[in-house]
Amino acid sequence: MTIPASENSRTVLIRLPKPSASGMITAVAVFILLLLGFMAIFADVISPYDPLRQNLINALQGPSAEHWLGTDDLGRDVLSRLIYGCRIAVIASAEATTIAVLLGVPIGLFIGYRGGWWDWVVMRIVEAIVSVPGIMVAIVIIAILGTGLHRAMIALGILFSTSFLRLARGVVLAEREEVYVRSARVIGTSDRRILLRHILPNIAPPLIVQVTLTVGAVLLSEAGLSFIGLGVQPPDASWGTMLNTAAAFMQLAWFLSIPPGVAIILTVLSVNLLGDVLRDSIGRGIAGDAPQPASAVRVNLPAATAAPEPTAVSRPDDVLRIEGLDVALGGDTGVPIITDLSFGIARGETLGLVGESGSGKTMTGLAILGLMGPALRATKGSIVLNGKDLTSMRQNEIEKVRGNAVAMVFQDPTTSLNPAFTVGSQIAELLRTRKGLSSKDAWKRTVELIDRVGIPRAAERAKAYPHELSGGMAQRIAIARALSCNPSLLIADEPTTALDVTVQQEILDLFRDLQEEYGMAILFVTHDLAVAADICDRIAVMYAGEMVEMAEVNALFAKPRHPYTRGLLHAMPHASDREPPLPTIRGSVPRPGNWPQGCRFSNRCDYKTSACETRIPLVGTSRRVRCIRADELNLGRRP
Amino acid sequence: MSDSPLLQIADLWVTYRQRSLLGLGGTSFHAVKGANLTIRSGETLGLVGESGSGKSSLANTVLGLVPASSGCIKFDNVDLASLGSRYPLPVRKQIQAVFQDPYSSLNPSMTVEDIVTEPLRVHTRMSKVERRARAIELLRLVSLQEEHLNRHPHQFSGGQRQRIAIASALALQPKLIVLDEPVSALDVSTRNQIINLLYERRDQFGIAYLLIAHDLALVHHISDRIAVMYLGHIVEEGPSDRVYKSPAHPYTRALLDAVPLLDPARQRARRAQRKLSPAQETQRVAETGCPYKNRCPLVMPRCQTETPPAYPVDGGGVANCFLYASDQVRQSEQRERKAL
Repeated sequence: MTIPASENSRTVLIRLPKPSASGMITAVAVFILLLLGFMAIFADVISPYDPLRQNLINALQGPSAEHWLGTDDLGRDVLSRLIYGCRIAVIASAEATTIAVLLGVPIGLFIGYRGGWWDWVVMRIVEAIVSVPGIMVAIVIIAILGTGLHRAMIALGILFSTSFLRLARGVVLAEREEVYVRSARVIGTSDRRILLRHILPNIAPPLIVQVTLTVGAVLLSEAGLSFIGLGVQPPDASWGTMLNTAAAFMQLAWFLSIPPGVAIILTVLSVNLLGDVLRDSIGRGIAGDAPQPASAVRVNLPAATAAPEPTAVSRPDDVLRIEGLDVALGGDTGVPIITDLSFGIARGETLGLVGESGSGKTMTGLAILGLMGPALRATKGSIVLNGKDLTSMRQNEIEKVRGNAVAMVFQDPTTSLNPAFTVGSQIAELLRTRKGLSSKDAWKRTVELIDRVGIPRAAERAKAYPHELSGGMAQRIAIARALSCNPSLLIADEPTTALDVTVQQEILDLFRDLQEEYGMAILFVTHDLAVAADICDRIAVMYAGEMVEMAEVNALFAKPRHPYTRGLLHAMPHASDREPPLPTIRGSVPRPGNWPQGCRFSNRCDYKTSACETRIPLVGTSRRVRCIRADELNLGRRP
Repeated sequence: MSDSPLLQIADLWVTYRQRSLLGLGGTSFHAVKGANLTIRSGETLGLVGESGSGKSSLANTVLGLVPASSGCIKFDNVDLASLGSRYPLPVRKQIQAVFQDPYSSLNPSMTVEDIVTEPLRVHTRMSKVERRARAIELLRLVSLQEEHLNRHPHQFSGGQRQRIAIASALALQPKLIVLDEPVSALDVSTRNQIINLLYERRDQFGIAYLLIAHDLALVHHISDRIAVMYLGHIVEEGPSDRVYKSPAHPYTRALLDAVPLLDPARQRARRAQRKLSPAQETQRVAETGCPYKNRCPLVMPRCQTETPPAYPVDGGGVANCFLYASDQVRQSEQRERKAL
């Protein structure tokens, strides 16, 4: 089971403003390409001279009033030839690219989707082609077809089709495993329709980039082929033949090579830039996940309106103490992610941070570690660990704290361990760098730790790679690694969510056992109230970036005081023993930026009154609740 | 609900072959080993198991996404196992699916209208206007609105995406919908909304569900019968309430006991009873004997060599466990189990 925890980070990507410099560059690129097209179409009208008219008296002249870019060896006007060369460039790149796409993409799609023998045979042919230098292949094809612009472009089209073929095949290989393709097959959609209607639109972004790269490459190759006399034949004007001429007269008139050279450079650059822009604009709709927050309902930061809130009693044995923490996306005026969060965890205590996705519980854990990512910042409040405020620390100081005083265990053990190293070496490395143990001692201690987390044959298992272990075993290794530096605070972020229930039970027992032995404080982040009931001493329920209730575990389950807590409890599969309709909380968790004014749960709450439209403070000391009607409501466990 | 079986799976084996580097030999892995299941029309069968139990392989085989290596899948008197993955359209029309991950099961480049009407485009000759009208009708069935038609999947929350997937599965009014972990990626509060929705539509249209999940408690709310899989074997099958309230197979019992209780005091008491156990070694799948013998607290000498067949259990259903081999043995074993 996976919880879509990465939503926030995905939102970050699309909300970052685009720098305006790239807009300028795009405009310039578009202008150059439009100019190119214009000159290609209207070459007859705008060129000052006939590009083929010779005037041997004026040969090899530099720029002048009559001839802006000078004349070539036969006295022909360079500007006119350059403008006519645009026509050749456009025709050539269009022709070769079209052939490459039409040939490469369908074959690539087909062999990628079908696989088997088709794939094997075609790929071996492609490999044979690309293993020979491209220009050689083109020359061989031209030798068969004969010289001339169109034949050269067919040759280039065939040559470049291999890159389209490989690209299309590669992307299809990945896409065909997507669940949406499976869905389409279950519906009974034909293979052809799956390829064209379902998969092709999703591989468009890389194809577009490839097209622009190819256009650039074709321009260069055309110039190259014409330069060696296999493309455009003299006296026709193309940028390649112009370079050819310029090379012959380099000593006499160096300026001849500049106009075609600059034209080629500018065109290729512009096409590539435009390709990047196109890809980004297409990709945005797919990559972005969250709807843009409606600015009208953006929450004002509560500080100004909320009543001063009583801070919880600070206990002397607190390992971690968070006070009035605010985290926002994009600085002080940005979208709030966490607001006004305060809690403490004592030595040997387990505090559960419970909530659904988007509640800010995972972000709280990352904030403590200083791992929130560049767009998120703690804008207010303090995070005090062992008496030191982490929010005022510099990055390198926090890095020292991380791994020494605080360690973290993540949801997915198979991805939180590095697949390239043995599990033992990953723990031993920490012991060497953080604790300064010798290699031998570090390894000895590693084996002890692995044995301690309940893995049989520890010495042997230390040499295993992560993929050789089951999920439960890998999570035990991750726990052993977290323990290696004897942290005073262990943050466990959904550590059992990806595991089977029978394994979950073992891991929970392990956490409890290790806490008894090492006495560290544990911040246990989970969406599963039953797991929290099993492992936690106290539970903080989070909703939409704030704490709505905190209580000692027995009290919370016996008598929830916030309507959201009660709703969550009722929704647990074990909580009721009847046929549907099962109890639900109507609506869904609002995203950051879309939180209601006042009580953030008010739009889903059955007990809402007009009083709920103002900010509700978190009240109480040992038992805290953020509900204005908490005292009058009698929210039993059973409805 | 009628008595005629809609889907009948008999001695189904699903085997994956892994070719070695040179394409010679290689190893094979049996994901499903001789499964027997029956779903009557309009009935919901919950198929429960942990990761690696073969439940998804079984579902994918019914859907024709993975070929059966032997055995029989009879659906509406057609043997699907012999068709490979090329189900004829009339068969496809009757079996639809909703998958686990609402984030990847909807094509990101298609609009909701395209997604919901895709089955209609493949299977019917409806005009665009007719399809649109039907799409609106389908969205209403899953509590979404007409205004959602032109949006893309990324504009919806996980729960809403799963509603769109359900709308698409309902489009052809199939006889069977395979639900592969339909709510396990969802938040607690949206999970029940989707379960309720599935329940209502089943009764409205008389659809049968094959509901794959890892959570027995969740499955039992909506299932008529429950089957439990372990390492490719179906180890227990029976009426939903019986399996949930008095599980017969030791594995089913372990599965239920492993779920933490919502009551901290009772959970503490239960925890005190079991001592910290070392991690289970990833066992090579036993070739002989009971698949659960290495973890079973009630293992008998017989379990080492013989694979237990399905024995009837009090209260309905069967369990593949020698505890139920005969009345005498069973009574003595039950005494023993109570003592534990």
